[in-house]
Amino acid sequence: MSKRTILSFIAALSASISVLNAQNAVDLIISEVLVENRENIADDYGEHNGWIEIFNTSQGTVNFAGCFLTDDPGQPKKYMVPKGDLATKLGPRQTALFYASGKSERGTFHTNFTLKRGSTVYLISNDGRTVIDSIDIPEDLPADMSVSKAAFDAKEMDFVTLDEPSTPTPGSKNGSSSAETGSSRIQRTDPHGWVLTLTSVSVVFCALAILWIIFTYIGKLSAGKGGKGRTETASGKAKARRKGAPDAETAAAIALALDRECGGETYAAIAAALHLYLEGTVHDEESFVITIKRSEGSGWNAKGQTFRRLPR
Amino acid sequence: MSQIIDSLRQFWQFTGFANCEWQNIVMILIGACFITIAILKEWEPLLLVPIGFGMIIGNIPMFPGLNIGIYEDGSVMNILYQGVRQGWYPPLIFLGIGAMTDFSALISQPRLMLIGAAAQMGIFGAYLLALAFGFAPNEAGAIGIIGGADGPTAIFLSSKLAPDLMGAIAVSAYSYMALVPVIQRPIMLLLTTKKERLIEMPKPREVSQREKIIFPIIGFIMTAFIVPSGLPLLGMLFFGNLLKESGVTRRLAETARGPLIDIVTTLIGVTVGCSTQADKFLTGKSLMIFGLGLLSFVIATATGVCFVKLLNLVLPHGKKINPLIGNAGVSAVPDSARVSEIVGRESNPKNHLLMHAMAPNVAGVIGSAVAAGILLGFLG
Repeated sequence: MSKRTILSFIAALSASISVLNAQNAVDLIISEVLVENRENIADDYGEHNGWIEIFNTSQGTVNFAGCFLTDDPGQPKKYMVPKGDLATKLGPRQTALFYASGKSERGTFHTNFTLKRGSTVYLISNDGRTVIDSIDIPEDLPADMSVSKAAFDAKEMDFVTLDEPSTPTPGSKNGSSSAETGSSRIQRTDPHGWVLTLTSVSVVFCALAILWIIFTYIGKLSAGKGGKGRTETASGKAKARRKGAPDAETAAAIALALDRECGGETYAAIAAALHLYLEGTVHDEESFVITIKRSEGSGWNAKGQTFRRLPR
Repeated sequence: MSQIIDSLRQFWQFTGFANCEWQNIVMILIGACFITIAILKEWEPLLLVPIGFGMIIGNIPMFPGLNIGIYEDGSVMNILYQGVRQGWYPPLIFLGIGAMTDFSALISQPRLMLIGAAAQMGIFGAYLLALAFGFAPNEAGAIGIIGGADGPTAIFLSSKLAPDLMGAIAVSAYSYMALVPVIQRPIMLLLTTKKERLIEMPKPREVSQREKIIFPIIGFIMTAFIVPSGLPLLGMLFFGNLLKESGVTRRLAETARGPLIDIVTTLIGVTVGCSTQADKFLTGKSLMIFGLGLLSFVIATATGVCFVKLLNLVLPHGKKINPLIGNAGVSAVPDSARVSEIVGRESNPKNHLLMHAMAPNVAGVIGSAVAAGILLGFLG
């Protein structure tokens, strides 16, 4: 392999890794924006700035380093989230807060622009072109009130911008439905449990009924395929039974199974014991003679019936 | 001299004797009881011995703050317990169960799958009762799963829905699984007539290797598409079975059903036992959970048997099902199928029901995993 090929491969690998790092950034949304901050949360410097909240809608961690924030569609790379800061890794269903202080030298979470009413805030992918999400800031957004997005669907995945300005909740999920667990929802909608019971029983029956139908069909197909062969086998077996000896197919199957399972002395002993048994020479008097004893019918918990003990 | 006495007095404060309360003694006695039953009666010894000893470990009175308790972050027991809390162990056990389960009986008689579904009424019956007794829906769901008679599933679901009740639920599930013959037999006899118990079923057809290989693949895809929340359990169950049936992964199947399941069973047993610390376990709720657990087994057995009786009303002569295999829909593999065999032979010594009963039995495993997925989807 030439040096050029190796270098190209390494370059391609690096490029893929950088894309992979941000490939889940599509799961991010701008979940809340506050423009005029008078008495809301203060930043690390004790200043009250507007802020932008980013929410990870997925169940995996997303690293948004290298992505961009902007309030100007003509300038998509206005503020790049610095790379190399571990804090840019956002856990599942977690939020990150950017202070729109206009002083990006203060750290990763300070943008180089401030927010204005009537503008739109964009979250741009690390390619500098693809818009991941955006949020419009109303002209009449009051001070200390935010514009936010919340999900009201069962999976809490379909986020919509709320019509009315809301009380800011920086750093936590938005919307009243977010706080409701499945249990509390069921408690409210189905306090006696009958709906859930009937639904669940139907689903269990459906799941197993589908398997029943599929495997009935597969079984018929399987039987149809081997139709003639099976009849011959059955007649062969009957003939063999009349003779008092196993037919060739059964013998081959037993031999194959024994060989595959482990082979060796154990199964040689079993084969010898079976031979003695079939010949009617089983006895229990002398030493060093293999004997098969009939089971006298044991209890359900007898050692001999334990299914967990595997043949070795 | 006084220094020595002071040191001894201080040491005494560290000992279990100084910190012992009557609840600890009760729990240690229960643990000893489990071990005794497991050894003398051989009732679920692989589980009751680790759980019983775990109970003793978890209830040794100790001085708090030594970072050795199961609920103290970073302790050895706490780290092992994460497999239960986070639900890692049950899917691994299901992998082993899949690798040791032969689904032939089910594939050859697919109609018997419905019995496995009917017996899951035990889960939902207990869920309704638990709600009526004032439990929250998530707690009721976790308690209901005891009726699935499947320890790993019960641990998996309760760790997700009601972690605080998990110790009581797990111990209850395993205890009643051990008592399956005692619980099921009288219900089966009560609900069936002598004539019904004599029904002989035709010998199941032979199942080809191809069908056995297709089953875990189709079975998994269908059930997982219907209940994706049951993915960890269903995925591992069918994957384990594919390892067994494919014929080309014998080593993996051997490991899954041998060393792997043994290790995980040991860890799950001892940590679940350990989690039953007296202050968290000996509560009124635990007693109610034990009561509801028993009822769930009763309901599951009764609905399984009654469902077969109902089916027989529409089935033609010669295709009727012996209702004694109805109890096997309770997925305590293979104990409930064994009970069908024993009770069946009591009525007709020549009537062997074991192979037939294994079909609803393994269907019950699938059914309880599906039911757990549904409950997790709704209540999680």
